[in-house]
Amino acid sequence: MSALVTVPFKNQLGEIERLGQVVTEFAQHHHWSPQALFEVNVSLEEILTNVISYGYEDNREHEIILRLAFTDGEMTAEIEDDGRPFNPLEMTEPDINKPLEERQVGGLGIYLVRKFMTNLAYQRHEGKNRLTLKKKIATEE
Amino acid sequence: METTETKTQGIVMLGLKGKLDATTSPQLQEKLFATIVGGEKHFAIDCAQLEYISSAGLRTLLLAVKQLRTVNGKIVLYALKTHVKEVFDLAGFSAALPLFGSQTEALASFTH
Repeated sequence: MSALVTVPFKNQLGEIERLGQVVTEFAQHHHWSPQALFEVNVSLEEILTNVISYGYEDNREHEIILRLAFTDGEMTAEIEDDGRPFNPLEMTEPDINKPLEERQVGGLGIYLVRKFMTNLAYQRHEGKNRLTLKKKIATEE
Repeated sequence: METTETKTQGIVMLGLKGKLDATTSPQLQEKLFATIVGGEKHFAIDCAQLEYISSAGLRTLLLAVKQLRTVNGKIVLYALKTHVKEVFDLAGFSAALPLFGSQTEALASFTH
């Protein structure tokens, strides 16, 4: 497996399982630590789930593209979709100090992504959302 | 994800194995809510074989906490793996949702 993979996903929640397989295979190839793999898996699931669940106003099949790269100890993941314009970085953060009973159920996913990634960037380009996630990754022999 | 269910001293013991993600969390939610509707109020979740949790799993547990609150019930978790526990800590769940190291401690929390 090269240092760059491009994988298309459909806008169906069942694709989350395949996402996990793709990321795990990529991580094993590049000797990521189990902790790094877990954090990337969760982050990409959160983003893909958001796009699949809230990104589309029609019931048609759409393609969501994942590009994964790993160079000099840094992972770059790009997720591109043709859904409605949506910048997850503008979402308000949940108040994690509130008692659980008073918490809103939304916003937790992107909150975890922010915690797990080193850098996030959003672009709207030619009718598509593109979210770029970067993370410094510890590797193991 | 696979689940096992037993009942001890009026406490429903649910064992989770595998991944609690956006595709498997609805199964757990359905199971928990059906059991709550069936009259159960006390739950102890065995997380020893839970390998993975995302916000979808957290949301399911949050909904269960809220639902159980209305019937004076309680849910506790035990034996979480380090990386799974980290997600609870980051999300601020560990302060409000009791997490225990062992089954013994989890069960004891219901008698105090």
